Amino acid sequence: MQTTLPSSQASRRAFLRQASALSVAGIAAPWALNLAALGEAAAATAADYKALVCVFLYGGNDYGNTLVPYDTTSYALYQAQRPTLAYARSALDATALNPTVAPLDAGGFARQYALAPELAPLLPIFNAGRLGALLNVGTLIQPTSKAQYSAKSVPLPPKLFSHNDQQSVWQSSAAEGATSGWGGRMGDLFMAGNGNATFTCVNVSGNAVYLSGRTAVQYQVSPNGSVPLNALKNPLFGSAAASNALRTLITQPRTQLLEAEHTRVMQRSIDADAVLTGALAGGPAIGTAFPVGNPLADQLKMVARMISVADAVGAKRQVFFVSLGGFDNHDGLLTIHPGLLTTVADALAAFYNATVELGVAAQVTTFTASDFGRTLAGNNDGSDHGWGSMHFMLGGAVKGQRFYGTPPAIANNGPDDVGQGRLLPTTAVDQLASTLGKWFGISDANLLTVLPNLANYDVSARDLGFL
Amino acid sequence: MIEEQAPIAALTRDVEIGTLAALSATVAACGGGGGDSAPVPLPPTTNISAAQASRFLAQASMGATRAEIARVQTLGYAGWLDEQFALPQQGTRWDWLVSKGFDAATNKNSEAGFDASAWRKLIVSQDTLRQRVTLALSEIIVTAIDGLVGGGGWKAFCAAAWLDMLEANAFGNFRVLLQDVSRSTAMGLFLTFRGNVKADTVKGTLPDENYAREVMQLFTIGLQKLNADGSLLLAGGQPQDTYGQDDIGGLARVFTGWDFDLAGGTTATPDYQRRPMIQVASRHESGPKSFLGTTIGAGTDGATSLGLALDALFAHPNVAPFIGRQLIQRLVTSNPSPAYVARVAAAFDNDGMGTKGNLRAVLKAILLDSEAQSVAAAPGGGKLREPMLRFLAWARAFNATSASDAWAIGNTSDPGTRLGQSPLRSPSVFNFFRPGYVPPNSAIGSAGLVAPEFQITNESSVVGYVNYMQRAVSTGIGDLVADYTGLLALADDAQSLLDELNLVLAAGQIGATNLLTIKTALDGMASGTDAARRNRVQAALVLVLAAPEFLVLK
Repeated sequence: MQTTLPSSQASRRAFLRQASALSVAGIAAPWALNLAALGEAAAATAADYKALVCVFLYGGNDYGNTLVPYDTTSYALYQAQRPTLAYARSALDATALNPTVAPLDAGGFARQYALAPELAPLLPIFNAGRLGALLNVGTLIQPTSKAQYSAKSVPLPPKLFSHNDQQSVWQSSAAEGATSGWGGRMGDLFMAGNGNATFTCVNVSGNAVYLSGRTAVQYQVSPNGSVPLNALKNPLFGSAAASNALRTLITQPRTQLLEAEHTRVMQRSIDADAVLTGALAGGPAIGTAFPVGNPLADQLKMVARMISVADAVGAKRQVFFVSLGGFDNHDGLLTIHPGLLTTVADALAAFYNATVELGVAAQVTTFTASDFGRTLAGNNDGSDHGWGSMHFMLGGAVKGQRFYGTPPAIANNGPDDVGQGRLLPTTAVDQLASTLGKWFGISDANLLTVLPNLANYDVSARDLGFL
Repeated sequence: MIEEQAPIAALTRDVEIGTLAALSATVAACGGGGGDSAPVPLPPTTNISAAQASRFLAQASMGATRAEIARVQTLGYAGWLDEQFALPQQGTRWDWLVSKGFDAATNKNSEAGFDASAWRKLIVSQDTLRQRVTLALSEIIVTAIDGLVGGGGWKAFCAAAWLDMLEANAFGNFRVLLQDVSRSTAMGLFLTFRGNVKADTVKGTLPDENYAREVMQLFTIGLQKLNADGSLLLAGGQPQDTYGQDDIGGLARVFTGWDFDLAGGTTATPDYQRRPMIQVASRHESGPKSFLGTTIGAGTDGATSLGLALDALFAHPNVAPFIGRQLIQRLVTSNPSPAYVARVAAAFDNDGMGTKGNLRAVLKAILLDSEAQSVAAAPGGGKLREPMLRFLAWARAFNATSASDAWAIGNTSDPGTRLGQSPLRSPSVFNFFRPGYVPPNSAIGSAGLVAPEFQITNESSVVGYVNYMQRAVSTGIGDLVADYTGLLALADDAQSLLDELNLVLAAGQIGATNLLTIKTALDGMASGTDAARRNRVQAALVLVLAAPEFLVLK
């Protein structure tokens, strides 16, 4: 594993121009990468590895009980909005956050926040300056005031409050039906510089539009690694000829479009397994203990393992996606949500520690995301679909122990929410993505192609400064 | 509820069917025969080829068998549907669970028995059309056993009762189905309105909006206004939302006050899981409820409010194309033409007797349509068979059974080692895949087509499926094993063996080139002994089940 510091901005930009051009050329044959054509571009980044890891919390995470208002004024407002759902303030004492810079709300009041008690495993990482929190981030087309929202005088994200659509908007900037996401579009820029384009966008949790590029295709791997096809490893019922016939049947090009797509996936699977199984077997043992029975930790361990063999598969830039479901807590918020947060915190802490162990902590940036935030005002025992939310950025390159964005007013139909504490985001997903992308090595110009709505933000607002 | 009366013609047909059933049983006992030239005891009354019948059964049943192919050829498509409509339900999953002792108190907090009860029905129940429609409905109006939490336990029984309820309504009326869905404990738990309480100004709480949102978005009208052919109804060139947040808030007030009917008892036994939920008047919103231009007046009780609300949703012009199109996608093709959707929607809106929502009429419209009955020749036609349906096609075709009656197939959700899909185990209310899913960077997308099943098709699942089927065809799954007697008789003749598999499993759609590829491989394998024949049968099965022409039903 390479741990060398990034090359200079100048050479990186030079590389990107070429990589970008190459990825356009790669449209015609994205799988048949012409390594010889890379030349100087490949050499320009040979010493540099970076990974982005998106941790998606499916269902819409309840922001109110994730990053909890803690100063007495704010806590009282929070408690008043959700008396049946609020943590006791005393339960938050141990996880109250002491940032290097206090976050000021719109009125200039310094706020205090506490992590939900179950997020305690993240506290040491926050205090070590490797975890930051982003306040009231969500889907937007452009900066939007409440007056503009109410008057519908600016374009709003399509199909607000709908799970599947807001998942898609978060990941791709468009409603369900979008075919590329910003993680994948970042991958587009880099796959030509990776020795094996297949391992550019890697999904350990299934299928997410986030990781589909305009040309890059997400590689979906199981938490146990790639799956070998038994009948190609061993003669099918004793017949090598039958195994060969199987290979022909399942990988041959087809003219029928659905058949062709299936054989394309199968060919990619077989090819990737041929590389990855051996690489993972030869990778370093990871001593960091990952929690067992934790599906998110299972996925993140595979991410750590893939990062550990990035050299072996020729990867210089990788975009990963993992996820945990169950956050749609209309019911049982107090019984279900704490367990989910425990799962998240244990998994994230183990993963961060593994990157430290592998010596790549500063080259791996992890961030959380979710469909949307939820209402602050509850129903009887849960909360409903919202919009803006609180999220975390984690990694050795993160300027942590800090808050980014603006603390929202804690209210029902106050200045920062559109009713019931559904937050109107003051920071856009595009700004988060732009900050991540800049760190990843994407030029300002290319960021505008990755994030079409970014042009709606002032140049000075495109880097949130946490990296 | 308007149940379709059995017409007199159907009664005479039942007599006729009794005779034919005996005949087709004879065919099955012959153990297969040799491809298209299989002997048929009577000249068919229709001109349906065996391959056409097999293709029809791939749309309308849990999987073709020699017996059902013969039945379709004899009765014709419509006659076969009528026969299936007339078959009685054949025992519930619930009763099977009880018969196996899964209602023992030790199972209160487990899912024990559910997967077995679901698979067993899918594999053996004779009402194969009803099973197919039940499965389709379970993927449109979705609950999942993992989400049946907070209900006092008995998840297996809650899930079984849900599938039994869908099955009971599969040939009924969609409005009744909506009613039963909305009072089921499964939906009450899955979309969390069981125990939902009216607004409380002191506590600052509002009704849970979960079911109000999804019953509109997913189960009845969808997000945007539709034309009768399923296309978007535009205004000024723009799509129009069907509802807004205010409608959700208003409708959420309807779904308050519902709770388990414990009938004076407790949750110590599972019985409450199959009783419709009942109203607790003190928790039901007593003020007016306004949504979609409808207002239910203040003081209307919970049961009446539910009926009025569902009437309003059911009356929406979107329901017919929205539900009709999804049923077409589950049964026939991923990309029905607008005209096909319009024909099905018309049948949904009026079954010919003035009744809306008659699912028999809808199913006939879907399965007897010319677009369903002609082989999809367009390069993007047809549909990818769902992994569950591929597995079930094998199980049905070769009479797989569980000698111990354990049906220990289990949860097949893991894509790397199993099917990547399992009955009633969708990861969310959005089903295993969305009706509008487009595989990224694909020729399918470039052609403007959708392919829902590709949402769960990935590098792990495509290989996991082949590995799983190799295991299924050789050692079986649990003690679920197939009967290859008929195939073994053909095994020494690769061509006959392949013709049979191609017909029954792939509706004859595997092309000459791939057949030759398989035949050449089989010809290279030993023959003449029982062990050799078994190897040839199993190799042929794996190859056919992995062939692209089987995976995609055209």
